[in-house]
Amino acid sequence: MASLDDELRSALRRREPSPDFTQRVLARVAAAPVRRAPRVSLAGVRWVAAMAATLLLAAGGLEYRHYQGERAKSQVLLAVRIAGSKLNKAQKKVQMLTHRSIS
Amino acid sequence: MKAAGLAIACLLLAGAAEAQQLKWNFDKLAARASDSVDVSLEGPLLRLGTSFLSDTDKDQAKIKKLVGGLKGIYVRTFEFKKPGEYSAADVESFRAPLHGPEWQRIVGVHSNEEGETVEVYIRSEAKGIGGLAIIACEPKELTLVNIVGPIDLDSLSELGGQFGIPEVEVDKKK
Repeated sequence: MASLDDELRSALRRREPSPDFTQRVLARVAAAPVRRAPRVSLAGVRWVAAMAATLLLAAGGLEYRHYQGERAKSQVLLAVRIAGSKLNKAQKKVQMLTHRSIS
Repeated sequence: MKAAGLAIACLLLAGAAEAQQLKWNFDKLAARASDSVDVSLEGPLLRLGTSFLSDTDKDQAKIKKLVGGLKGIYVRTFEFKKPGEYSAADVESFRAPLHGPEWQRIVGVHSNEEGETVEVYIRSEAKGIGGLAIIACEPKELTLVNIVGPIDLDSLSELGGQFGIPEVEVDKKK
């Protein structure tokens, strides 16, 4: 038991560093390459933002164009239906009167 | 240069449609009507609407062909709560611009029984029919149609006489 204590004490005893330890550490630090966090450039951020805005505008523009087209189509159909029905009514009346006068 | 030429051509076309469009004043009737329908299509919007018509649907394909060469379509319908809300003078004010030499009344039918009158006018041009105007009066409804451009009357009448044209939801205005 006593020998185990002695062994532990011997293994954990304080040892002084060599006199040039500080200099060696500082030299290693100076020699090591500096690692910097990746930098995001402002120009890159602006470019991505501009692209996103352009895509958003294009998508919105297409959607609005489609809405306008569908609305215009409905109006064309409605106009033709109204104009056609009035013309058809007049035509039928003329045919009916012609038929009456013949018979 | 081409774009500038195209823009000028579009402006000229739009100007031509506007020049041939009948100058009707609807203010008085609009104030008295309980409901009204207003369709006013010309230039790029008319072409856009036409381009959205289906080529595969039989009726829409017919309409696409019919309106393909038009410069403008203007339809106004006024509905009134009771008969007598518009006068003969109101109707005459719509007839006035049609008294010009370029316009010719081809049909005028009146039914005493139903109190209905339909008048059809065409605008004659060297190449044929260059426009159409319809004034349709019913006791509680007045419809005015002005189509600018070459129109096939038989096709239009046929399309109006069949039930193939879908009912369209419209925003009715006061």
